[in-house]
Amino acid sequence: MTVELKSNDFVSLADIALRNPDLQHAVGAGTRGGYSKRAEAMFAYGADHGEFLRRKAAEAKRRALRNLPDLLEQAESNLLANGWGVEWAEDAAAANRIALDIAARHGARTVTKSKSMLTEELGLNHALEAGGMRVVETDLGEYIIQLNNETPSHIVAPVMHKTKDEIRDIFIRELDMQPTDDAEEMVAFARKMLRHDFLHADLGISGGNFLIAETGSIGLVMNEGNGRMCTSMPRVHIALVGIEKIVETVEDYATLTQVLPRSSTGQSLTVYTNILNGPKRAAEDDGPEHAYVILVDNGRSKIYDTAYAEALACIRCGACQNACPVYRSTGGHAYGWVYGGPIGAVLTPLLVGLENATPLPHASSLCGSCKQVCPVDIDLPRMLLDLRWDLVQAGESKAGWDLAMKLWSVGMTSPKRYALGGVAARAGQAVMGEYLPGPLGNWSAHRDFPNFAPKPFRELWKERAGA
Amino acid sequence: MSQRDRILARLRQAQPPFASLAPIEESRPVTPRSSQGESGRVNQFIAAARELGSYVYQVDRSEAIEQIMDLLDGDQSALSWDGEQLPLAGLQETLRSLGVAIAAPDDGDARVGITGVSAALAATGSLVLESGRGRYRGASLLPDLHIALLRPDQILPDLESWREEQAQAGYTAFRDSSNTVIVTGPSKTADIGHQLVKGAHGPRELHVMIVK
Repeated sequence: MTVELKSNDFVSLADIALRNPDLQHAVGAGTRGGYSKRAEAMFAYGADHGEFLRRKAAEAKRRALRNLPDLLEQAESNLLANGWGVEWAEDAAAANRIALDIAARHGARTVTKSKSMLTEELGLNHALEAGGMRVVETDLGEYIIQLNNETPSHIVAPVMHKTKDEIRDIFIRELDMQPTDDAEEMVAFARKMLRHDFLHADLGISGGNFLIAETGSIGLVMNEGNGRMCTSMPRVHIALVGIEKIVETVEDYATLTQVLPRSSTGQSLTVYTNILNGPKRAAEDDGPEHAYVILVDNGRSKIYDTAYAEALACIRCGACQNACPVYRSTGGHAYGWVYGGPIGAVLTPLLVGLENATPLPHASSLCGSCKQVCPVDIDLPRMLLDLRWDLVQAGESKAGWDLAMKLWSVGMTSPKRYALGGVAARAGQAVMGEYLPGPLGNWSAHRDFPNFAPKPFRELWKERAGA
Repeated sequence: MSQRDRILARLRQAQPPFASLAPIEESRPVTPRSSQGESGRVNQFIAAARELGSYVYQVDRSEAIEQIMDLLDGDQSALSWDGEQLPLAGLQETLRSLGVAIAAPDDGDARVGITGVSAALAATGSLVLESGRGRYRGASLLPDLHIALLRPDQILPDLESWREEQAQAGYTAFRDSSNTVIVTGPSKTADIGHQLVKGAHGPRELHVMIVK
């Protein structure tokens, strides 16, 4: 299913999510689990070492981006030396057409596909299906999503928003699974269902977590093994890779391919750290006969020339989604496109146009958790603020928002007035109770607004200083 | 102008970002090094691999064969790397004499696959498998049960030390093999109800035999 762009409906989509108890349960458990596993794994050897890993990963990605055009050319020549066919695509239409051409050239009918967020961006499955091909998503989460005609809601856990019971019902409804509540039996069932396609597909499609310029290799991380199937069993393999996935050296790759799973699922390495170096060599008996890399721009080179270039450093670990109080409440679909959470709130406007995603820069409390957990230290709050500024510049902000910001700035410019605001808020709360007035009511309709402290920090501080 | 040239031209027209980026001089492995010497590495490898749910055995030749026959549990065929790629000379002949045939490399029905490794990583309990002549990808991927055979001297401290060895060898694992995979535990998924389940699409069980 192709993602329909609905980011301007964030508020109503979020409202739907907030009223869905299954989603609340599933996303809550998934994000909290991911958040604590990340913290354990990143700081297993102390906070100082964890911060060192972030600095090292951040430097590797930024150094690669700084030299992006040169490294892309280096990667291209090393990819060719490794036997890959190399194609370049400026946008989604071009990438899909190239993939279709390759598929047609090799007479492909059935496609097994491993997880790739880029191909969601491109609407690749839809294009292949329109070209008469059968496309099978093989990551278990993606398989379930495809059966249910949905799109992934989380970068690494696409079906995070569904409970086990909902997934059981999808398997029963779509595939006549024998009813069971046992997750192991459901996994065994899916394994059996997909096995035939793994062995008989003509074309395997993957994304790429890393493109190593030094050797012309693609690095993939995965736990299930489906990505190994898609890149090993069919005659033809296509990897679609965003141009920002480049890393300069194998040494950088060795760092990043370890930091990514620590930050993502709390693993020291994923079960399969897969390094792909083109088609099978003459002496090899299995592996694809033909292998292609499609280097996809699709808006990235435009971001490169802006103050948002930092967003291109993202390694798609999902940590910011797990950490974000907004994402934790709404899940990913509310963001109305491919990427949810803080990185989605930044990337979506940059990739589809700010006018098509005006609520997203506001879909954040600016609490800073996203920056704190980001393994490559992307300053997401700064970019969210800058996007809000861009919105104001473009004259697209709502009058109510202007008013709120005006009041805020009035209060913030003088300590006396700020203090007065606190007095007013405490008095107001006595009248309003736990409901916030006006547009803020959307927020308090779903949660209790905390009581203001009876004595503000300023006064406590004064007392303390006096003592 | 081709798409390639237009993309590169746009990137070259831009002011390159991160101009003031400071290099990081300090080098530390992601998992700090703790073990000393071969026996230290063997112990660290065993602990890390078991933590992941892999089974690890330290065996001599006859114990290895006994263990493999146990795991085959009466199966009449198995996937396997070629004999010269395994650290157990004559294994295939022995298996044949015991009534176990070697299946074709793409046999999706074999329940057991036997491979060697090109290295193992103590810090993470990982196995490095490089594709090549007689080293089939499918043997560690298609079956329910993967048996990996290695010598203790193949265990390196970590991914960083393997990378250093590779750099000295001219990155053969990135050039001469079409596929190098670093296997860290049995296949798994947590996509259904956030519950960890082993054996998603790859092997459900990983048995590592360190052959003396």
